[in-house]
Amino acid sequence: MLPVGDRPILEYVVEAVAEAGIDEIVLVVGYERDRIQTYFGDGDEWNVDIEYVRQNPQLGTAHAVQQVEALTDGEFLVCNGDRIIDSELIERAAAESMAAPAVAVTRVESPGRYGVVEIDGDHIVSIDEKPEVEPNSEIINAGIYRFSPDVFDAIERTDSAPSGETTLPGTIETLAAETTVTPIRYRGLWMDVSQLWDLLPANDVVLDRHDCASGGDIDPTAAVAERVCTNHDAAVGPNATLRGGTTLGANVTVEANAVVANSVVMQDARIGPGAVLRDCIVGENATIGANTTVTGGRAQVIVEGAVYEDVRLGGVVGDNTEMGGNVTVEAGSVIGDDVSVADSAVIDGRIDPNTVIERG
Amino acid sequence: MCGITGYIGEDGALERVLSGLQNLEYRGYDSAGIALTDPADGDLTVYKRSGKVEELVKAAPEESPSRCAIGHTRWSTHGPPTDANAHPHTDCAGRVAVVHNGIIENYEQLQDDLAAHTFTSDTDTEVIPHLLERRLADGDDPVAAVRAVSDRLEGSFAFCALVEGFDGVLAVRNDSPLVLGHGEDGTYLASDVTAFLDRTRSVTYLENGDVAVLEADVTLYRDGETIDPTIETIEWDADAAEKGGYDHYMHKEIHEQPQALRGTISGRLEIDSGDVDLELSFPTEHLKSIEEVQLVACGTSYYAGLYAARLLETLADVRASVTVASEYAFDGGRDPWRTLTIAVTQSGETADTLSAIRAADQAGARTMAVTNTLGSTVTREVDDSVFIRAGPEIGVAATKTFASQVATLALVAVHIGRRRGALSSGRASELLENLRDVPGAVQQVLDTEDDVEAVAEEYADSDAFFFVGRAFAYPVALEGALKLKEISYDHAEGFAAGELKHGPLALVTDRTPVLATLTDGGHADKTQNNVKEVQARGAPVIAADATETDRHADEHLSVPDVGIFESLVANVYWQLFAYHVAAHKGRPIDKPRNLAKSVTVE
Repeated sequence: MLPVGDRPILEYVVEAVAEAGIDEIVLVVGYERDRIQTYFGDGDEWNVDIEYVRQNPQLGTAHAVQQVEALTDGEFLVCNGDRIIDSELIERAAAESMAAPAVAVTRVESPGRYGVVEIDGDHIVSIDEKPEVEPNSEIINAGIYRFSPDVFDAIERTDSAPSGETTLPGTIETLAAETTVTPIRYRGLWMDVSQLWDLLPANDVVLDRHDCASGGDIDPTAAVAERVCTNHDAAVGPNATLRGGTTLGANVTVEANAVVANSVVMQDARIGPGAVLRDCIVGENATIGANTTVTGGRAQVIVEGAVYEDVRLGGVVGDNTEMGGNVTVEAGSVIGDDVSVADSAVIDGRIDPNTVIERG
Repeated sequence: MCGITGYIGEDGALERVLSGLQNLEYRGYDSAGIALTDPADGDLTVYKRSGKVEELVKAAPEESPSRCAIGHTRWSTHGPPTDANAHPHTDCAGRVAVVHNGIIENYEQLQDDLAAHTFTSDTDTEVIPHLLERRLADGDDPVAAVRAVSDRLEGSFAFCALVEGFDGVLAVRNDSPLVLGHGEDGTYLASDVTAFLDRTRSVTYLENGDVAVLEADVTLYRDGETIDPTIETIEWDADAAEKGGYDHYMHKEIHEQPQALRGTISGRLEIDSGDVDLELSFPTEHLKSIEEVQLVACGTSYYAGLYAARLLETLADVRASVTVASEYAFDGGRDPWRTLTIAVTQSGETADTLSAIRAADQAGARTMAVTNTLGSTVTREVDDSVFIRAGPEIGVAATKTFASQVATLALVAVHIGRRRGALSSGRASELLENLRDVPGAVQQVLDTEDDVEAVAEEYADSDAFFFVGRAFAYPVALEGALKLKEISYDHAEGFAAGELKHGPLALVTDRTPVLATLTDGGHADKTQNNVKEVQARGAPVIAADATETDRHADEHLSVPDVGIFESLVANVYWQLFAYHVAAHKGRPIDKPRNLAKSVTVE
């Protein structure tokens, strides 16, 4: 339920599906299912009927699709919940002229992070997930599929990974060996938020494209730039500055004289007086102390052993983390959930969840 | 306590009234019925069944050409839940059908007057169709008959009637809720907007003594004259009144608490100046002069009142008392001109609370309501109201409204404390910052639900459950026990921790877990000593604590640091605990036996 432009990413998917004229949606939920259900309810707000199916344990995307077998009778679409797309793609995938199995493909600059698709004429030959060598194609799997009930049999016949997971790209390869898997070539809006810092550019793009119903208790002396989205339950104190590309969630407080630029601040978080946050992601219910500074800019980020160069990320502050006053956060730092940081500490790099940082 | 509904408009009156009844089932569910007017010859047909609305749906035809219908879902006050006692009730000839909510106090006397008529049920309601029958026989038209009959009835009631050959619905309100819905497809009537919220949001709340005649147009009689209905727009989401993926409304509503609390405090906190913005109209001079704040409430609202009384005494330096509404009287020893009486009621329709607030008003006290329901009866009876903004609550066991009531009452305490000069702006800011942090803290607790579920299942089969706490944790102990007994039917009691050794300790065994709230503002260190007493008797201890005060507890549930609101956050653990014990036992959580959501009888 990561927010972009003060709405969960999943809502952009639901909205695209609804705009394409599809009115029955099944959400396969696992992690954070309570929050998803609380937010989307029965789907009335989007004029669709939403049903929920629980995936437990979570054994990959193909396993997730298996959970809906009893609810399908005929062809259906499968959408990843963490890709922001246009309804045009859903319309094309759902069109009568399209036949299952079909996979949406798109072109990106850094295909190595995704499933690189090899196409021969009008059918898909293979999907190479996160290839280790430089891929020779920029065409990737866009995460939208059209299937017939035959897919359930194909999932059964696909070997699972050593971890026990079964994935849809694996299933596509099984299908591709037996039948024609049609690529749906798509060049429209496609944003993936598989890495946390993808939130910042995604938020930036969404604020450019969509009107945000901003509101909240904004002090008249605060300076709020264009392309800023503030939830109607947010509060901004005197002389605070919100610069472009910034989103404040519900019940967020930005106190006096704070400066927040190109940042996503999630619900219930509090930004103390005089704090400066640039290119920053502040998790739910986090507290940023007075005069704490996240300088922002580009840096190297290390996540789960992988090194990502030249990422524009001032820092990530985890959910429920409490940062004291006068803390300095170097660009590219990732602070986990439930961390406690003492006043005047200097943070550089990765801090594990539940860590207590004392002043050295 | 019942729900009534009616509709006139296009075809499909049957389907519309049945769906309205299903939406109203939370108001009572031991029998249900409908009456339909045949569009061809004006004849009435009645279907009714004991049991839930589902039973009625099975008994009724699948479709009907009728454009005009009334329906009822009942919770017994007079007579057992049988088919005969189910509404609608009819006159001797079956030419008048009536659904009714409330109590006719003089029904026995009226029955004596109607000696020539044959009564087929044990209900007070049945006098209404027979009285109508007599007026119609005397030559009254249906509208005149209804107006004449309503003058003869005493008590609290709202009823809807169909009369053979009359193409419309007649309705009267007196002290029981009734609201009109103006849809594009016709006009709706119900005890509560939830019945037709999925059809229209334009509503008119009827006032006491109003008679509404629904034909092609609506005619509203008030004090003998026709008036134009005042139309209001409901801003609730219709889908918020549905379950959306959860098995029970209660579970959904527990999870809605962070959102409900954000709504409660939104725009009301002035942290920089240490004040609140509640748009209350009581003059500062009056708030300075008051000697006592009385809180009147029932059930869970009563426990919210207990929490609030302590907040008022602590923050506003004013004596605060809490009274169970049915026990309320404006007793001696107090000056009505120096008393503020606050009614705390989720629905705003709770009969006991309404009676209490009327008694306070008659004595001359200033009155105020803290409620969830805009336009509810209580808001029209009091001098001023503050809304808790929790959104609709359907589960019979109150959850999110408790949290929002306490948060709202804390704002009221700050308001009064600041006006009285008893609360410094610095202390108020600190408190409001704590309150601001409550939604996030509640979300943190909800995120640990799997752990609470495991604890609940482990202890589900215990003999009894004792909840203990002190100070702000004491009302939470009471509320925790109430939740558990309401939905799991287990024996559960809440005690002031210090009282254990004065009696209840005799009940403690190794099969009676003790659930201790060890929070800031709850004298955790003292409660800790009481916990040791029960541990010495072998009782398992489940502790909700801020700082792992009790290192020896069998189970720890960690409460985030939010000052004197920690007990309120700890309460969320007890809600989850009660829910999972009840779910484990397969109880009908949203509709516990013998209970109804808003109790509109005394």
